[in-house]
Amino acid sequence: MKTSGAFRERLLGAWVEIRENLGRSVLQALGVLLGVASVLGGFSISDSQRRRADEMFVKMGGLDKLNVQPKAAVRDGRPTALQQANLGLRDEDATGGEGLKADAIHGVSRQKFARARVVSAYGDQDRQISGIGGDFIPANGYEVVRGRAFSTSDTDSGAPVVILGTEAAQTFFPKGDALGQTLRIGDVPVTVIGLFEERVFRFREGQHNQFWWRNRIIAVPASLVQRRMNGDAYRRLDRVTFRIPDLGAMGGFAKQLSDLLKANHRLQEDFRLDDVAARIRRRNSQGDVYDIIFLLSGVLALVGGGIVNVNIQMAGLKERVREVGVKMAIGASGREIFKGFMTEALLLTALGSLAGLALGVGFSWIITKSLGIPLYVTPASFLWAYGLAAAFGFLFALYPAWKASRLSPMEALRYE
Amino acid sequence: MSSIIQTQGLTKVYGSNGTAVHALRGIDLTVAKGEFVALIGPSGSGKSTLMAILGCLDLPTEGTYTLDGHQVQGLSGGELARIRNEKVGFVFQSYNLLPKASIARNVELPMLYAGVGRKERRERALALLEKVGIADKADKLPGTLSGGQRQRVAVARALANEPALLLADEPTGALDSKTGAEVLGLFRELHQQGNTLLLVTHDPSIAAQAERQVEIRDGLIALNEGAA
Repeated sequence: MKTSGAFRERLLGAWVEIRENLGRSVLQALGVLLGVASVLGGFSISDSQRRRADEMFVKMGGLDKLNVQPKAAVRDGRPTALQQANLGLRDEDATGGEGLKADAIHGVSRQKFARARVVSAYGDQDRQISGIGGDFIPANGYEVVRGRAFSTSDTDSGAPVVILGTEAAQTFFPKGDALGQTLRIGDVPVTVIGLFEERVFRFREGQHNQFWWRNRIIAVPASLVQRRMNGDAYRRLDRVTFRIPDLGAMGGFAKQLSDLLKANHRLQEDFRLDDVAARIRRRNSQGDVYDIIFLLSGVLALVGGGIVNVNIQMAGLKERVREVGVKMAIGASGREIFKGFMTEALLLTALGSLAGLALGVGFSWIITKSLGIPLYVTPASFLWAYGLAAAFGFLFALYPAWKASRLSPMEALRYE
Repeated sequence: MSSIIQTQGLTKVYGSNGTAVHALRGIDLTVAKGEFVALIGPSGSGKSTLMAILGCLDLPTEGTYTLDGHQVQGLSGGELARIRNEKVGFVFQSYNLLPKASIARNVELPMLYAGVGRKERRERALALLEKVGIADKADKLPGTLSGGQRQRVAVARALANEPALLLADEPTGALDSKTGAEVLGLFRELHQQGNTLLLVTHDPSIAAQAERQVEIRDGLIALNEGAA
């Protein structure tokens, strides 16, 4: 049968059959169509949503970050002597961590916060002050658009200089150019040496700017906060962030860092490691619930469609008993009849799936459009939708095809 | 001369003990190669059952049947299909063409099941249609043809795999007498070309056109005339 083009003939025969019974075929394909559309559409919508969320994190400076923050060492009872004597997160932790895997780490940023009264000729507010050091600016997705960033001597000496976010610049210098002007933070007069570019991110079109708070930044060298605002002799930090683009190296590094810090901190776990990528993975896994729901509704549609298909096929078989009989009389084996019916059902499934894929993409396009987020369809969603449809199409085609193949040629020929 | 059909003690029983119907009660029949035999008998005589068994559409309850040297009893469904495909050509009263396939495709179908390549199938189908005189209708659908033409297509299809036996079941039953005579003329022609024909009919005047008549009555051979 290899050279005879039997498959081609079956396909042609199946196509003729489908075309001749268009109404019935459309009904049969409908279940497949809805199932595929539901799986693909659902997956695409949740994928698009996730992707948009990932984009937001990337704009905040990427996912490849490991944060270290101080944590209370004492959970209950009285603090031990070691716990009391501990110094918390310090500059040494940042430099020590960087030394662990210098080639894997693409940046270390340090932060020390303070809350202080900020006063200019136009404004007088209580504000959060970010003392920053290391690679804070690139690692957090900021960009100095005018003026300059902190120089090494600024950060080393704790120079009284400040870089403002757009909101802060407008609040304290509404009349215009803030560069070069002086601002008083607490009782320290600082000079504005740079301005950050405005950060804008809208999850959906027309939504408010989710990054509004990032434009409120008032950044000074971390050393300035440590020395003259909120610091102490130990140069404690509020946050150290390591940037490691190779996510595979992240886990190992986190373990090493944790050991190092514990050794530095008199065996106290008074710090907390926060792997941003892992956090996002956790958040994304909550979205898996929706995927399962969509998958389930798709499967239900496919099962429902499949059962309807079996019914239609069985009713259709009644009309075709004679045809089967004739084919058998001229030499078609049961296997041949089986293949013919299977080809027909699978062709129908394939056509239905194609329409379903188109419908699913269209459907998710409309939904994401109305949500105002860009549509994102993964090949995996296609594979899921198509694979499921093919599997169920095959499964539900088996019975009618088997039934047809088992007809007795004699009785089939006599069937009126 | 070698025999195409050889049966011994063929019986066929339908149903189980309580309601058993004995359609055939022991048929011994031999048909030699190249014979033109008419199988005649009233309805209910068992001639359709005999035809079904001779055509390998059904298996006998008891007895032996050898078709062109092949033992038929005891074969599986797949093996029977293969024998039908290679050894038997059917012509039915109601033509039984596939309505959605073109004339040529109808004729090609038995060759498809036999594994003949596409090009050869087409060529042979056209040659066969030429032979039965309707080559010009090759790409038409059966529904557009007259009864006589359709029966010619059926004959072409039956000849597709050069079968050892041509089985015609009331081939003129649905035709008017003129086209019926034409179809019978075609059968006689095929007979002269050396084909073995078995024509099943209830009409003695049609049976008379064959060179040998076998009459079935109540599941037994009542008359076996002109046996070679």
